Amino acid sequence: MILLDFERIWPSVPYILEGVQVTLAYTSVSLFFGFLWGTVLALFKVGHISSLRWLSSFYTSLFRGTPLLLQLTVIYFATPQLTGYMISIWEAGIITFTLNSGAYVSEHIRAGINSVDKGQKEAALSLGIPYHLIMKDIVLPQALRTILPSLVNEAIDLVKESSLISVIGGADILRRANIVSSETYLYFEPLLIAGFLYYILVMILTFAAKILEKKLKTI
Amino acid sequence: MIRLENIHKFFGAHEVLKGITGEIPQGEVLAIIGPSGSGKSTLLRSINLLEVPTEGKVFIDGECINEGRVNIENVRTKMGMVFQQFNLFPHMTTLENVIYAPMKVKKIPRKKAEVLGKAMLKKVGLADKHKTYPPHLSGGQKQRAAIARALAMEPEAMLFDEPTSALDPEMVKEVLNVIKGLAHTGMTMVIVTHEMGFAREVADRVWFLEDGILVEDSPSKAFFKAPTSPRAREFLEKVL
Repeated sequence: MILLDFERIWPSVPYILEGVQVTLAYTSVSLFFGFLWGTVLALFKVGHISSLRWLSSFYTSLFRGTPLLLQLTVIYFATPQLTGYMISIWEAGIITFTLNSGAYVSEHIRAGINSVDKGQKEAALSLGIPYHLIMKDIVLPQALRTILPSLVNEAIDLVKESSLISVIGGADILRRANIVSSETYLYFEPLLIAGFLYYILVMILTFAAKILEKKLKTI
Repeated sequence: MIRLENIHKFFGAHEVLKGITGEIPQGEVLAIIGPSGSGKSTLLRSINLLEVPTEGKVFIDGECINEGRVNIENVRTKMGMVFQQFNLFPHMTTLENVIYAPMKVKKIPRKKAEVLGKAMLKKVGLADKHKTYPPHLSGGQKQRAAIARALAMEPEAMLFDEPTSALDPEMVKEVLNVIKGLAHTGMTMVIVTHEMGFAREVADRVWFLEDGILVEDSPSKAFFKAPTSPRAREFLEKVL
């Protein structure tokens, strides 16, 4: 009995491999915007304006308190219904992942900002440095260094969570594996390849993060 | 140059400063001494509003800085501050630490700021350390770099908050020497310190604080010879 039949899958492997690009595109673009958005939210959270503080906390609780799949489907299906705009899969994916990871990232950054010794801010204040520069040049760089490992975790999560895009038809790694399954009636092999690809991506990220961390430590 | 009028400070229900009034004229070196918990550091930090007094007024060059619309950043550039824990920016080289504020606050071009910064580092004996990151400096070097950083803003006054308390004994002297050198340039200075010998040598005047009250305000010579208040006498007997 043949347990695994990779012979019949072989011609479809390049097709699944192309999904790596798609997965990476979703991940990197959402990570970039999610980081910017998360920084803004974090600055609201540590800032002096109470309405913004409240708003960003509520926002975070909303996006952490509901399933990502629900958020994705709401944005994809409700946008046309509410606004008449036919949102593309790509747009829905990027928007959802950005909004969602922004919520998580903002919590990491807030914790990072709070971990910076308050003497740093006092020294900067005593030099007459304005608040926005203290944040940008003195507090945030130190905060980011501290939370780098959690940011990498966020990136790893996003690589895997981006597979939800397959539910609304995004042609990422998982979606392509599923298509191959339904064409060949083989289920295990395509999924095994997909799993392997995700694993490799995550390992590369982990490795890169370790090097980066070491580099930052030597300074 | 600096005048305090009836300064009160509460932390919650605890009153740390109980109505301090005093004046520090231009060019004077003032040592603030007293037992720990007496409010010395809080008083010093009130001068540049790192602590905002609950009540009372702080005047710098005749202008009240804790009332109405005062550009506090502007006022702070006139007063350099040196902290017990140095508070150097660890992600910047020593030179970057020194030139950051001149460049960003005073808008001095980088080239000019670097010349100024290197001169300041030379002044405190760290000419060879400008590319070093603070974690690689010794405690004494860190504090001297912090002094250079404050001086680079060319302040009218310097505030020292227990500048040698976090240092290993063998490094105290190098920092005190730098501060002494500064005192001789006619800089207005306020120094919170536990180093009595140093206070005696360098200060023109002494404020003795206890329990949030300015118990004694005397010329340094007179104070160390014969303090007028029994509390100060008791304190000196214990520490000398």
